Amino acid sequence: MMTLIYGGSGSGKSAFAESYLLSRAEGRRKYYLATMQVYDEEGQRKVERHRRLRKDKGFTTIEQPTEIQNAVLKMAAGEKTALLECIGNLTANEMFSRSGQREEAEVVEEILKGISVLKEELVHLVVVSNNVFEDGRSYEEATMRYIHTMGRLNVELAALADEVIEVVAGIPVTIQAV
Amino acid sequence: MKLVLGGYAQGKLDYVLQKYGREACQIYDGEIPEHTEEQGKTVVMNHFHNWVKERMKNGGCPEKEIQLFLNRCQDCVVISDEIGNGIVPMEAFEREYRERTGRILVELAKQAEEVERVICGIGQRIK
Repeated sequence: MMTLIYGGSGSGKSAFAESYLLSRAEGRRKYYLATMQVYDEEGQRKVERHRRLRKDKGFTTIEQPTEIQNAVLKMAAGEKTALLECIGNLTANEMFSRSGQREEAEVVEEILKGISVLKEELVHLVVVSNNVFEDGRSYEEATMRYIHTMGRLNVELAALADEVIEVVAGIPVTIQAV
Repeated sequence: MKLVLGGYAQGKLDYVLQKYGREACQIYDGEIPEHTEEQGKTVVMNHFHNWVKERMKNGGCPEKEIQLFLNRCQDCVVISDEIGNGIVPMEAFEREYRERTGRILVELAKQAEEVERVICGIGQRIK
C-alpha cells in the first residue's frame, strides 16, 4: 500500500502525514526516512521542529538523503511501515551535488526505482511530495529543470501510489481514492 | 469564522461577495478592523496574507493579533492567497513569511466553521 501526500510549504502536510501513518501502522514498526541535508542553522531548526513533531510517536528515524532504496538495508526484519519526507529534498539532493548536476530522466528513473523497492518491502509507505508549481515565477535554468523534474516525479509517483491526498491548510483533500 | 483560500487572482473576493451578498459585507483590504460592533455586517478580510507580511515587517506578531481579533469578532470571512506552492525563496524574510502564513492558515482552518478553496472562481468546500 502506498499513499502520496502532496502540498505546499507550511500546508501542514508533515503533521497530517505522520498522523495518517500512525492511524494505519496498527502496531507495526514505523520508520521515518529523513532526506534533508543540513547546511545551516535554519535547516537545523527545521529538522528540530520536525523531530519535536514526531517525538513520542514511535518513529525510528533513518537518515537517507540520497539513494533512498538503501533505507531498506537499515530496517529490521518483519512487517513495517515508513514515512518518506520528502521528494523535494530527495530530488534536489540527487540532482545537485558537489560532483555536478544530473539529468531529469536519470534522476526520475532512479528515485522511482528506489520508491518501488520501498513499496515492495513495506506494508504501508507514505510518501510526502511538494507542490512547487504555482508561484508563477520564472527561475534560472537549473531551478526550472528542478521544477520540471518534480512535476514528472509527482505524475509517476501518483501512478505508483494507491491513493493521493493533497493537504490544504492542514485539511486532507482526496485527489485519488484507493 | 469562515476561511477562503486559493491561488492568486482566482476570484476569491467575488465568490465571497456573491455568496454572502455584497450589501451584507464590509470589506477590509489587508487590514484588521479596529471596531466591528457597530456595523452588523459580515467582516470580510481580503488579502489576509498581505496583512501577515505587513505585521511581520513592522515587528508585530500576526499569530497573536489575529487570535485576539477572532476572539472579539466571530462573524467574519478571512480570504487569503495560498502562497506556499512554489520554490523556497532565496531571501530569508520571504521564506519566513511563506512558512508563517502557511502555519497561521492551518490554525485558522482548525478554528473555522467552514473552509473553502476557490479555483477558477469556483468554491470547493474542504471543511
